Amino acid sequence: MSSSAQGRANGGSQVSAAFAGLSRFRVALLPLVSIVALVIYFTAVNPLFFSASNALNIGRQSSVLLLVSLAETVVILIGSIDLSVGALVTLTGILTALAVDTLGAFGGGLVGVAAGAFVGLANGLLVTMLRVPSFLVTLGMLSILSGVTNQISQGQSILFANTLLPSLVNNAPVFGVPNVIWFGLGAAAILTIVAFKTKLGRYLYALGGGEVVAAHAGVPVTLYKVLAFVLSGAICGFSGVMLTGQVGAGTPTAGSGLLLNSIAAVVMGGTALSGGIGGPHRTLLGVLVIAILTNGMDVTEVNSFTQDIVKGAVIILAVSLTIDRSKYSFIK
Amino acid sequence: MAAEVDAAEPDGPKAIVLQDVSKAYPGVRALDEVSFSLRRHSVLGLVGENGAGKSTLLSIINGSVRPDSGTLSIDGHPVRFGHPTEAAQHGVATVFQEQGLIAAIPVYENIFLGREHKFVAGAGWLRQRTMIAEAKSVLDDLHVDVDPRALTGSLSFGQRQLVEIAKAFALSRVYPVEPIILLDEPTSALSDQETVKLFEGIARWRTRASFVFVSHRLADIFATCDEFVALKDGRVVDQRSTIGIDESALHELIVGRQRNAEYYREASQRSSAEGIALQAVGISKPGELENVSFDLRKGEILGVAGVLGSGKSTLARIVAGAEAQAEGEVRIGDVQLRPGSRREAIARGIGYVPAERLIAGVIGSDTVEWNLTLPSLDALSLRGLPLLSLRRSREQTKRWMEKLRVRAPSHDTACRNLSGGNQQKVVFAKWLARGTHILVLDDPGRGLDVGAKEDIYGLMREIVANDGSILLVSDNLPELIGLSNRILVLRDGAMSALIDAEQGAKPREAEVVAAMV
Repeated sequence: MSSSAQGRANGGSQVSAAFAGLSRFRVALLPLVSIVALVIYFTAVNPLFFSASNALNIGRQSSVLLLVSLAETVVILIGSIDLSVGALVTLTGILTALAVDTLGAFGGGLVGVAAGAFVGLANGLLVTMLRVPSFLVTLGMLSILSGVTNQISQGQSILFANTLLPSLVNNAPVFGVPNVIWFGLGAAAILTIVAFKTKLGRYLYALGGGEVVAAHAGVPVTLYKVLAFVLSGAICGFSGVMLTGQVGAGTPTAGSGLLLNSIAAVVMGGTALSGGIGGPHRTLLGVLVIAILTNGMDVTEVNSFTQDIVKGAVIILAVSLTIDRSKYSFIK
Repeated sequence: MAAEVDAAEPDGPKAIVLQDVSKAYPGVRALDEVSFSLRRHSVLGLVGENGAGKSTLLSIINGSVRPDSGTLSIDGHPVRFGHPTEAAQHGVATVFQEQGLIAAIPVYENIFLGREHKFVAGAGWLRQRTMIAEAKSVLDDLHVDVDPRALTGSLSFGQRQLVEIAKAFALSRVYPVEPIILLDEPTSALSDQETVKLFEGIARWRTRASFVFVSHRLADIFATCDEFVALKDGRVVDQRSTIGIDESALHELIVGRQRNAEYYREASQRSSAEGIALQAVGISKPGELENVSFDLRKGEILGVAGVLGSGKSTLARIVAGAEAQAEGEVRIGDVQLRPGSRREAIARGIGYVPAERLIAGVIGSDTVEWNLTLPSLDALSLRGLPLLSLRRSREQTKRWMEKLRVRAPSHDTACRNLSGGNQQKVVFAKWLARGTHILVLDDPGRGLDVGAKEDIYGLMREIVANDGSILLVSDNLPELIGLSNRILVLRDGAMSALIDAEQGAKPREAEVVAAMV
């Protein structure tokens, strides 16, 4: 082995290691850097952006998105995807609005969460038992849920008299921060603990990172895949309850926009669509980027059509910077 | 015999000249200053063990891998590395182990795939009928009996291989070159009849083409090749004529060593112990295994030998519960294991180290700690809580990393950044940490360098010294003979021999090979 060849080989591995380090660095820091940059920019254009009241606004506007993005994170971690999250939030919100007057705030909330878990169970069973890719199962489910929602609501908002539910969601007894924000942050904290400190969490990462390895290690693959969908569905149901509480009614268009924004938030946070990498803590940052971007454009009076264009461009840019291409042999 | 033609013109024009080619992957030196040449109209065998660098070499010649240094010329023209199209324009075509045809389109479209421009009429239309006629003439020319309009996916494996070869010849209808065809293990999935047909074809086609032929089966090399290049650990050991050397001498050349007792720690081999760890009774699976029975004793390494397709890997998966048998049972003591239940096998203490390390052994994106603790998370739970003890998880990881001398920056390093040898140690560690006492190993040394292999062998000796038992499936005969107490030989799915290999009374390779083929 000639020493020059040796030198070249080492040089090559150093370079590739440096690249790997850089890409890890980017994945971890890009959301933070974008958040800081966005805050500076919007504050420069409109100083009112940088205020405690606007911060609470951002929190209120993005808590439901945070919950839905967490639900999506769980499914994306195992390498699947759930396209029915937005439609499920709408449906469970409507069901909660229908039930809350007879069953009370907690009963109504339970209905929403249970319905969400049930739909998640259906998604999970279809994916594992019929072996249909999650993309297609949840695409079909998206359509089914929208249809059910419209049949139940006849396209109308569902009003209710219960006042406990809205106040549980919107009141701000702790530090003047609305409860819905605490719920969102609490869910992120709990799921982060689940991800890193429980068997369930480790298994979810293992399923996404290497299903065959997991199966050989004795992980009950089907069970945990279904569990991931059920957990995701239940969180969507909880999001529906929160949304209905925030609005004070069940509305048949409440969940529109949540699907795209949640996937964007998950991926921008650094959770790989191929599964096994990332996690709920990352998603929190991804949601913040989207929330600040949306709110900032509102505050600086960017017109809403332009907002869509900017958001789309930012998503593509962010993903192109953070995506781990070594996980894909082809880009399809 | 064709070889005589070549002997008549040993310095004839060269189809390929490869000079001082080196290629390193992280942790592995795949090729080290490799030089050889392929004479025009000759068939050159490329032989070597798994991981010797054969596939890397083919990929460099066809332009899909760029080496770190060296030069390549094809038909006397210097060729840039890493440009598959350029290689193709000089006539280089590869027939891969995993076939490169698209199943969903007809044969003639595959034959001219990427070269349709020759058949474009005005306005971008393809002159389909001309394409079909041209494809048919290529196939007829080669005496390949395949309808060019047939859907590629509907053909047998052997037929698809012939189509790939036809595709290579079709090149010469587009570019003014003679094909140089690289065959990567072409016979591994063919029936005997199909193999004979392929060899007859090569003998006929070689007047108009040059071949590089990669094969595990040495008999193939003698049947088709004029010359061979033997590779070992990324270096050329020898290039010479196939005349004047026999199969066992060639084998020795590839293995590169007489069986080395020290390398396999034969001195520390214990005699098979008292007591049976696991029993297989009448294991059958239609088309793969037929009535295989054996006892795996405590403290024993039981080797399983057989050629590719003998069913030895299937047997490993069945014993490990990763695949269900049709008939027969695997027993531990009085307990009969549920067929195909990896979970029950684990609960009864059977660890499994599969051959495809990165697909089935470690999760590349997970850390050493997460990989190593994956099967033992239940034991790492905090009492009465659904939470894991991260402290104990880390301690267990560090302890086993130290014991097995896993070289990694930390327990937090992602496994894909480890060398193959260290990844393999992590796979072993995850079972040992769980207290597993039976290990099923499928080719545990595959793709590892010499030092890493030595570590793994030492580890296996330690496991059996502690009364563990190992079922060792391997393609590597010296390894199998050196390590095993007994060797079970499979031929076409049935047991053909059970050979004793106690310390100091090891069988010769020829004895084992005789039972394999």
